[in-house]
Amino acid sequence: MSTTATATRQRGGSAIAWALVGPTLLLLIAFNVFPLLYNVALSFTNRELVGDESRWVGTANYTRVFGDPLFAGALRRTALFVLCAVGAELLLGFALALALVRDFRLKRTVLAVVLVPMMLSPAVMGLYWALILNGNYGVLNQILGAVDLPQPQWLTDRDLKFWSIVVIDVWMWTPFMALIALAGLSAIPPHLYEAAEIDRASRWRVFARITLPMTAPLLGLAVLLRATDALKQFDIVMATAGPNDAATQTLSTLMYQVVFRDGKIGLGSAFACVVLVVVIALATVFTRYLDHLRRAREA
Amino acid sequence: MRAVRWFVIVVGLLFAALPLVWMGLSSIKHRSDTISQHLRWIPAAEAPADAESPTFESTLDSYRDLQTVHAGAQHSFWHHLWNSVIIGVLSTIASVVLGTLCAYGFSRFRVPGEKDWLFFILSTRFMPPLAVVVPVLIMYRALDLQGSHLGLALLYTVFNLSLAVWLMKGFLDEIPRAYEEAAVVDGYSRFGAFVRVVLPEARTGIAVTAVFCLISAWNEYGFAMTLNSSGAVTVPAYFAGLQGNIEGMPWPQIAAGALIFVTPIVVFTILVRSHLLRGVTFGTVKQ
Repeated sequence: MSTTATATRQRGGSAIAWALVGPTLLLLIAFNVFPLLYNVALSFTNRELVGDESRWVGTANYTRVFGDPLFAGALRRTALFVLCAVGAELLLGFALALALVRDFRLKRTVLAVVLVPMMLSPAVMGLYWALILNGNYGVLNQILGAVDLPQPQWLTDRDLKFWSIVVIDVWMWTPFMALIALAGLSAIPPHLYEAAEIDRASRWRVFARITLPMTAPLLGLAVLLRATDALKQFDIVMATAGPNDAATQTLSTLMYQVVFRDGKIGLGSAFACVVLVVVIALATVFTRYLDHLRRAREA
Repeated sequence: MRAVRWFVIVVGLLFAALPLVWMGLSSIKHRSDTISQHLRWIPAAEAPADAESPTFESTLDSYRDLQTVHAGAQHSFWHHLWNSVIIGVLSTIASVVLGTLCAYGFSRFRVPGEKDWLFFILSTRFMPPLAVVVPVLIMYRALDLQGSHLGLALLYTVFNLSLAVWLMKGFLDEIPRAYEEAAVVDGYSRFGAFVRVVLPEARTGIAVTAVFCLISAWNEYGFAMTLNSSGAVTVPAYFAGLQGNIEGMPWPQIAAGALIFVTPIVVFTILVRSHLLRGVTFGTVKQ
């Protein structure tokens, strides 16, 4: 930083600085930190959705949360969802990026079309996918029927519906992985590949020694961003299976069920507090990683 | 290798586009054709004589019927679209204004604990709506904001601040400080320099930030369906609410409505396509 820049940065003092950043910080504290603390307080009560009465019940809600097979199931299912959906998106997105990295005619148009799904509303598209996957009149089964393949009940079969939701998520978010992977691939200096060519390195070696390590930091960022997002999975499950389906219930839909269908705010808050511990841990890993990436780039 | 490459591109293209193409086809069908047992994918002027025919009679009825009020809903699609527009626009303006000011503060002034604050702002993005909605609901009941445009717009503003601050900080950091210094030497006040020099320089950044804030408010469902299940119901919550109604899902109208609902998003995505990467990574990755 030059001396004049430092001077500008200091002149004007901290009063203006706080006036500029203050409103945003206050709003975030009011709508994030305060609810968080309020949640903790509510989780020790038996407050319900209807009525204002509530009584201190100690750790009874937490005892229930940790003893509840529904919670264990939702936790396991959400973890499996994050693992499978994000894993598939990473692989497919990376493959798509590898295919798209070289220039060709219409590349910009192709890219724009391929990237559209991630910008759409998961709730609305999830609902629409429910029509596509409908076992009786969905277009997928009509096509399968036309070529004499079995036509499973994608959204009602116990063993299938979870995977149908994974597929819809993969449809929405593979573009996201492809976009970030493409940025990583495009940033690899061409001279590295030229050097590898002179050394007559095999294709696999080039991929393992140049392509993969050079894109890994960005892919890591993409995976973390997607994982924290997939952890919240709510919209697609609600659109296809509803909040209380034993085969597809995630942490978010379980919290919805407990608070808004069963009306148990106290218990729901205890669920929320446990979930938030996981989310905050992940968010910390994420921000640390981001900081690490930035420092690595500056160095 | 070349063949594999093109295969991947074509499959990716089809996988991304076909559901939307199918949505377009469904929107010009009669309801009976959307739930037919047979594959009907070729629009025709009149109904086919043969029940197994792949053609269907195309119609624009579904677009006309968007004004009907379906069983289980209080208003038509247009009413809910208008709610989405009001809430989306209000919250976008508010987050961009607050986010730009905040980012300017972090970019140009020395704020104690700057890095911690910035990461605190980013971390708010990771909160699952369903985990913070109960306290907000109780708060909104007390303030009579439940089901109102203002309540949801306020919540989306806060929800988008992390994105707005981080994106704008990236854009503002790229504007050389020398520009403002020159303006101050020319006799502008600090505020004058911000309005006359910084803001015009940052207009691309502001536009990109606004598009991303609008899209995330436009698409949001968790808060919308829990806080505004009645009153100012937005389109995603309205469509979801049609599930399980006694007349069955009005698929052609849903397809038509969804198409109208996603069109602005597709247009905006194409407009900001060179900044997409920045937008989805909170400005941390620049091309």
